Amino acid sequence: MTSKMAGDTRSHTNPEQDGMTEQQKLQHQLQVFQNSLPKVNQIAFQMLLNEMVPLAVSVENKLINSEIKGTPKRNSSELEEMITNVHITAPLDKPSHKLCQQLYEANDGTREKILERLRSMGNQIGNKLTELLVFSNNPNLVFKDMDLLSVMKFICRDVWKQFYGKQIDNLKTNHRGTFYLLDYEYRPIQTFALDDQSTEEELAMIKPFFEIPVGLIKGVLSSLGYKEEEVVCMASYIDRPTDRPKSTFNKGVSFHVQVNMQ
Amino acid sequence: MSNSSSMPAQAKSLKHAGEDIWKNRTEKVNAELFTLTYGAIVSQLCTDYERNFQKVNEQLYSMGYNIGVRLIEDFLARTALPRCENMVSTSEVVSKCAFKIFLNITPQITNWSHEKDAFSLILVENPLSDFVELPMDAMKQLWYSNILCGVLRGALEMVQLDCDVWFISDVLRGDPQTELRIKLNKVLKDEIPIGED
Repeated sequence: MTSKMAGDTRSHTNPEQDGMTEQQKLQHQLQVFQNSLPKVNQIAFQMLLNEMVPLAVSVENKLINSEIKGTPKRNSSELEEMITNVHITAPLDKPSHKLCQQLYEANDGTREKILERLRSMGNQIGNKLTELLVFSNNPNLVFKDMDLLSVMKFICRDVWKQFYGKQIDNLKTNHRGTFYLLDYEYRPIQTFALDDQSTEEELAMIKPFFEIPVGLIKGVLSSLGYKEEEVVCMASYIDRPTDRPKSTFNKGVSFHVQVNMQ
Repeated sequence: MSNSSSMPAQAKSLKHAGEDIWKNRTEKVNAELFTLTYGAIVSQLCTDYERNFQKVNEQLYSMGYNIGVRLIEDFLARTALPRCENMVSTSEVVSKCAFKIFLNITPQITNWSHEKDAFSLILVENPLSDFVELPMDAMKQLWYSNILCGVLRGALEMVQLDCDVWFISDVLRGDPQTELRIKLNKVLKDEIPIGED
C-alpha cells in the first residue's frame, strides 16, 4: 500500500506516465470499492444458482398437477390454511438429481417450458445486474455512445467476472452482429465430475444449466437497449483447446449471440 | 454439569473458528448479486404460481431443503466440527459458524423453550432480503426468505436432527424483527444394518 502511494507521487513529476497512473489509480479505487461491498460465500451463491434448474422442473410438475386436479383445490383452501397455521411442513420435492433426470426425460414441450422459465430468471438477473455494474464506478465503463462491440466486451469482462468470478476466455465476432463467447471453464458445471468417457447422455443432462447465462446475456443486452426480439442467443458445447490446463470438466461452452439490428 | 463452565470458552472458539474460515478460507461474491439472484427466483415463482404465496413458500422451502442436504457436506468439511451433544451447542454452531461462513451474519439466539429443544434466531441483517419491499398482497402471506428454513431443515436432518424450522416474524411484513424458530422433533437413530436384531 505505502509503496504504491510513493510510486504515485513520484510519477507526478513525469508527465508521460501521468495518464497511466491515473488509470491505475482509478482501477485501484475500484478495487477498494469492490472490496468494501458486503459479501457472501461463493458456494452459497453457486448452490443457489445451480438449484434453479431442479427448481424450474419442480414448478412445472406442480403446475401440471394442479391443472389435473382442477377445481376441487378451491374447497381445500380452508384446510390448507389450517395446516399452515400449525406449521406442518408441506411434502418435499424429489431430490435435485431426480428432477434433473426428469428434465432430461421430459418431452419437448415440457422441456421447452422449463428452459423458458430458466431463461426468464436469467433475464431478470441480467436486467438488474447491469444497474449494479453501472453504479460500480468502473473507470473502464463509458455507457454513453456505447456500440454493440463494447457492450459485448462489457458482458465478457464485467458481467462474467461479477457472476462467475472469471472473464470469458475468447470473444469472436464478424462485426455484423454475430458473436461467439467462449468459456472453457464455465464455473457452475466445473464441479460436475465428468471424465473423458462422458457420454452424450450426461452432456445432454448438463445442458439446461446453460439456459441461465443465455437469459443473463439477453437480459443485459435488453437493459442496454437491444430488444429481446432482436437478439438470439444459444449455447452449445465446444472442445477445450489442448494447450489449456486439464480441468475436471472436459468441455467448454460457446454462447452464440446474434443481434439483428434494423 | 461440568459442561456449563466450559461453555463460554467453547462458544468463543466457535465464533473464532467461524470468523477465521470466513476471513481466510472463503471465496466471496458480491452480496448484492446474491440478493438480486434470489429476488429473481422469488419473483419468477410468484408469477408461475399466480401469486399463490402459500405455494411459493412451500417451493422455496423445498428448494432450500435440497440445498441444505448438500451444503452440510461443505460445512462439515470446512469446519471439521464434531457432533453437537445438545441443542444449545447446535444453536451456537448454526449461528456463529454456519451463518457466518455462508452469509457473513451472526444471528442472535434467544427464546429458549423450557426443555431446551427449541430456540429462535433473530436475523438483524439478512442478505436475502436487502433492499426488498413486498407488495401489499404479498405482505400477509409470503415468507420471503423461506429458503433459509429449508436449508436449515435439510442440513440438520443430515446430522441426525429432525427439526421443524419456520419463520415467526419478518421485518418485510412490518414486524419489528426477523425471527426464525428451530424446534427439535427427535434425534434420528443411527441406522443398523438389517438382520442385526
